[in-house]
Amino acid sequence: MNRTISRNVSIISLSVLLAATIPVMHLNAQEKMTADEILEILTETMNPEQSHGIMTMTIVTSSGQERTFKYETFSKDKGDKSLMEYLEPQRVKGQTILMLNDANDIWTYFPRTKRVRKLATHAKKQKVEGSDFSYEDMGASDAFIEEYNARRLDNEKKEGRSCFKLELTRKAESNASYSRVMLWVDEENFIPLVVDYYHEDDPELREKQLVCHDVQLIEDIYTPMNCTMYNKLDNTYTKMEIIDITYSVELSDDLFTEMGMQR
Amino acid sequence: MNSTILMITAVLLLCNAAYAQPVDVYGYFEPQYSGIYIDGSYYQFQANKLRVDLKSKAIANTEFGANVIFLLYHGTTEWNILDFLPGQLTSTIPPEMRPFYTFRLKDTLYLDNVYARFALSRFAVTAGKQQISLGTGYFANPTDIFNTKDALDPTYEQPGHNAIRVDLQALPRLNLMALYSPIESDFASSGKMVRAKIGLGHFDISLMGCETQYTTTDFYTFGQTVERRHILGADLVGELFGMGTWAEGIYNFFENSEDGFEFLIGTDYTFDSGLYAMIEYHHNSLARSDHEDYDLNDWMRFFTGETKTIASDQFYALLQYPLTDMLTVGSSAVLSISDMSAAIIPMLHYSLFHNIELTLMGNIYIGEEGTAYSSSLGNGGFIRASVYF
Repeated sequence: MNRTISRNVSIISLSVLLAATIPVMHLNAQEKMTADEILEILTETMNPEQSHGIMTMTIVTSSGQERTFKYETFSKDKGDKSLMEYLEPQRVKGQTILMLNDANDIWTYFPRTKRVRKLATHAKKQKVEGSDFSYEDMGASDAFIEEYNARRLDNEKKEGRSCFKLELTRKAESNASYSRVMLWVDEENFIPLVVDYYHEDDPELREKQLVCHDVQLIEDIYTPMNCTMYNKLDNTYTKMEIIDITYSVELSDDLFTEMGMQR
Repeated sequence: MNSTILMITAVLLLCNAAYAQPVDVYGYFEPQYSGIYIDGSYYQFQANKLRVDLKSKAIANTEFGANVIFLLYHGTTEWNILDFLPGQLTSTIPPEMRPFYTFRLKDTLYLDNVYARFALSRFAVTAGKQQISLGTGYFANPTDIFNTKDALDPTYEQPGHNAIRVDLQALPRLNLMALYSPIESDFASSGKMVRAKIGLGHFDISLMGCETQYTTTDFYTFGQTVERRHILGADLVGELFGMGTWAEGIYNFFENSEDGFEFLIGTDYTFDSGLYAMIEYHHNSLARSDHEDYDLNDWMRFFTGETKTIASDQFYALLQYPLTDMLTVGSSAVLSISDMSAAIIPMLHYSLFHNIELTLMGNIYIGEEGTAYSSSLGNGGFIRASVYF
């Protein structure tokens, strides 16, 4: 239960923040795989053991206004622990977000006041700096397995690639924020190229759409360098771009602590 | 004047050093216009604030930080507190004493924080004038003996405090903190605090003990009473039934005065629409439970920050809604149960540009004369631009 809310949008963060990992061994996708098997591989391979990256997030409003944030991210234990610190703009520089237990425990640190604040899980519904990503979206997890029943549909082409098409329906006991999720997963590298998220109360109302592209093989791990989240209801979108990333990094557990946030 | 020159010199030297050494220079400029209606008359004043921060991490494991604040005031910068208080309280003040109740917003230039911090992975020592934020409450923090929050703008930054602070991360979710605040002339009289913070499940729980000097002023005679104050306190933050939950409280053991306690409990929730709702209840046994008992000392101690509240029981509520990605609107309200007065504070935050934020905040007092949020205290608001660099 504690891992519920944070997991339902995991693809977003897994794709962008944790920079999905796709071992070469999965290149030969099996046509007869079940939806659960695809999700399992997707989840397994999209959680790198650890990573360290620099990313940008650009919010574009319905009127065309833009706000760009740059931040540094660290993750460990396949996304169980993650930390992000804003580098730009100056307004938020030094603000840090620590997420543990698949984002079920979240702390934020404000350097100007030296205050650390713990957020309850409902706060994950809040937008991160006004973006189309919520804290929940940022939290890495295996939500699609835990929170949804999966059904495989006929393969389709998306973004010019052959994709597995999956329909995920929220389990009755789940607290996931989306009632239904449609996934188009690249047959070759298991990267989710398109993800449609449907409104919590209306499984026919598409609320958000995530589109990932520019997939690169970095340190033997397939990584989508650009992902955009479109908010279909507000007519806004947020672009996330990986500037630099490495998976060959040793991160101390001490980094993912209250003191680590203030370092 | 000399201190001003010294300060400017120091800032120039530090800024010069910033070019020679790897020193980060940043901060913000913050013009603010405030207006208030009192008894049919409109008063206005402006505050222009510049904060310049300097930070260096040139030496391994060490951080040197400082900031300078320049504040310039214009408009109505002189107020007499007696003008806001009930006549039956002020009528006993002799005319020749009235100037003593005047406060002036003076242009200032000061070092707000100057500290050095040495940190290893699980250990840190911070010495100097520094930010100290304690407690889990939003509207008030009983465990924070260093700061008093403004009920109308509780998240605004607090001043730095002179202290030596040691932090130890004994376990991943066990933090120990010891703090010595040498504000008095000798060790025995100075402030000391120890705190242990532990994570249990989805809760963070802190226990603290503190010893400090407590000064109360008699605002009839302007004499001061100093006594020792020992405090035991605790705070927690976590989640219950899906809602954010927090609490904090202290018990004061006074050397001479009657002991007292203060606590706050709060809960919050974010709805799927993005609407954020919060409510807190605050009790302070050192404050008055009946506004008929408020005397001049109560008011003055409240205005000067000697006590955190004038009314013993208050509710605080906050609603915030992100109207767009750039615009958040909301309102908070403070209800003094003790005297059934209230303040309503509508607010708006707008991200004007990447590094420019606009804040509008109003204050509407609803209460009879002599109550904590009496309408005779004036209704108004401010507009503030924060320009970060």
